[in-house]
Amino acid sequence: MLRECQKNQEAINLQMVNTLDPQNMNNFSEASVSIEIETEDMTLNIGPQHPSTHGVLRLVAKVDGEKVHDVKPVLGYMHRGYEKLAEVRSYPQITTLVNRIDWVAGFSNEIPFIAGAERLMEIEVPERAKHIRLILNEMARISSHFVFNGAYALEVGALTPIFYAMEDRERVLDLIESVTGGRFHPNFNRIGGVKPAAGAGPTSKKNIQDLPAGFYRDTKVAMEKVIKAADQFQNLIGGNEVFKKRTKNVGILTPEIAEAYGVSGPILRASGVKSDLRTHTDYLPYDQFDFEIPVGENGDCYDRWDVRVKEMVESAKIVLQAIDSMPSGPLQAKVPKVIKVPKGRTYVRAENPKGEMGYYIISDGGLGPYRLKVRTASFSNISILPIMLEGALLPDLIAIMGSLDFVLGDVDR
Amino acid sequence: MEDFFNKIKESFTNTTLEFETINIKVDSIDWIDTHKKLKDEFNLKFFSWLSAVDWDNDVSVGEAPKESVSPNFEIITCLSDLANTNLITVSTKIDKSDPKIESLVEIYGGANWHEREAYEMFGINFENHPNLEKLYLPDGYEGNPMLKSFELISREVKPWPGEVDVEGMPEESGSDKSPDG
Repeated sequence: MLRECQKNQEAINLQMVNTLDPQNMNNFSEASVSIEIETEDMTLNIGPQHPSTHGVLRLVAKVDGEKVHDVKPVLGYMHRGYEKLAEVRSYPQITTLVNRIDWVAGFSNEIPFIAGAERLMEIEVPERAKHIRLILNEMARISSHFVFNGAYALEVGALTPIFYAMEDRERVLDLIESVTGGRFHPNFNRIGGVKPAAGAGPTSKKNIQDLPAGFYRDTKVAMEKVIKAADQFQNLIGGNEVFKKRTKNVGILTPEIAEAYGVSGPILRASGVKSDLRTHTDYLPYDQFDFEIPVGENGDCYDRWDVRVKEMVESAKIVLQAIDSMPSGPLQAKVPKVIKVPKGRTYVRAENPKGEMGYYIISDGGLGPYRLKVRTASFSNISILPIMLEGALLPDLIAIMGSLDFVLGDVDR
Repeated sequence: MEDFFNKIKESFTNTTLEFETINIKVDSIDWIDTHKKLKDEFNLKFFSWLSAVDWDNDVSVGEAPKESVSPNFEIITCLSDLANTNLITVSTKIDKSDPKIESLVEIYGGANWHEREAYEMFGINFENHPNLEKLYLPDGYEGNPMLKSFELISREVKPWPGEVDVEGMPEESGSDKSPDG
């Protein structure tokens, strides 16, 4: 362990009780002594490999006893250079790459990128394809929140919930797999629609591939189980006294700091800001469905957990509505065989499980973008770590860090 | 969005709205004032991101721009307003020979890490930044990887298959006929 010594003067009051004198046994006469001693500031290195860092994040924390002051996150252990890679790849190839950014919700990463390319190409996506995207996007959100629920409970000391969470998540992942073929990296979106590209036009008679048989039935069952599981978590985790003590009034984040640092998603909503990109951007037809946006009150760790559990229920409700109102039609719009995106630039953002994810595409009319800026939620979300951990207790460090629900692929890109 | 665009246009002349993205072009001298104004008067308090673009005709990776460009760095920030859901990008161009610009950390705390990223990836100096050091790259790493002149080593060693990879769709290459022709 790396240790750095700093000379720090501190006054410690030692209370000495004279117990040897039998005369003082009854009234415990206390002698208060003040001694000046030197304590050293310890530099505590957490990570890069640590279960609570969800990947490889290193925190260099200066601790003084139990108090943390000055935390320095060290990033880059997972930096894969997507922005550079995107400059030598064509648009369909980039879809494969972006799956790997936030691997807990791989499907959600594709949506804003595809929507951006479609916006520049001015392609109107068929309604059915949009609905399938929406369903899978919400399933990705549910599976991401399941992981958070299990992992966060584990981090604050409850072992059981992760077993329930993983089991329930598996049902959702099975559904994603049955449609896309991939559990984590679906690579299912195509510019103009979704994967079975030969679903429309003159070739529609052959090779029709659509949602698998029994998908609606299985989805209904799974979503009702998600709603039950969320209820179970509310009792199992939220009702737990230890969990409440560890999370309530711990790591309070004010909306002002959150906004200036670009903190988004459930963390921002837990701080009382009712902001959800699903309600006012048109990348997917969310306006057709009824759902609520859970908002927290205090912006503490408990609220951040609570908002996510409530969001799972809302997502499940959206999916249930979407399969009831599934339009028929093609899965793919007519697109040129070689995808060339016209000159222009646009920024498309979407509400991902972790927050605002967006792609700024600068196209020069070529096969690939001239520049692709990837805005990920976790990057901005963990940039507040030094502020939130200032003055926190060491055991709260894990509780605060875990409540931010970041994934290192989403931080480092 | 149209209303907001018109409102912005009254204050900033060089404003465009294309592909549902509002962009304000400013001189690098006005960089700080523009952001202050946008934050205070237009209530754009949410700092989404900051990044840069390397405009160059001579590229060693990817495709060169179709039309000739004057080589410079473009710095882009994205701000939004959570209550009214407005979104805006602000861009400025700076000289490549002496790439420097004022840091936005004083106005938006979130600019800190984004500026560090742009510093290591493009070599842009952000003046008055409290802690301008590498964010992702290891200590002792030389070069700025996001520059268009920076070679992608793996591409040099093993070229991407490119054309070979592209196959025609089976049903479009005359699948009405029997396999014998």
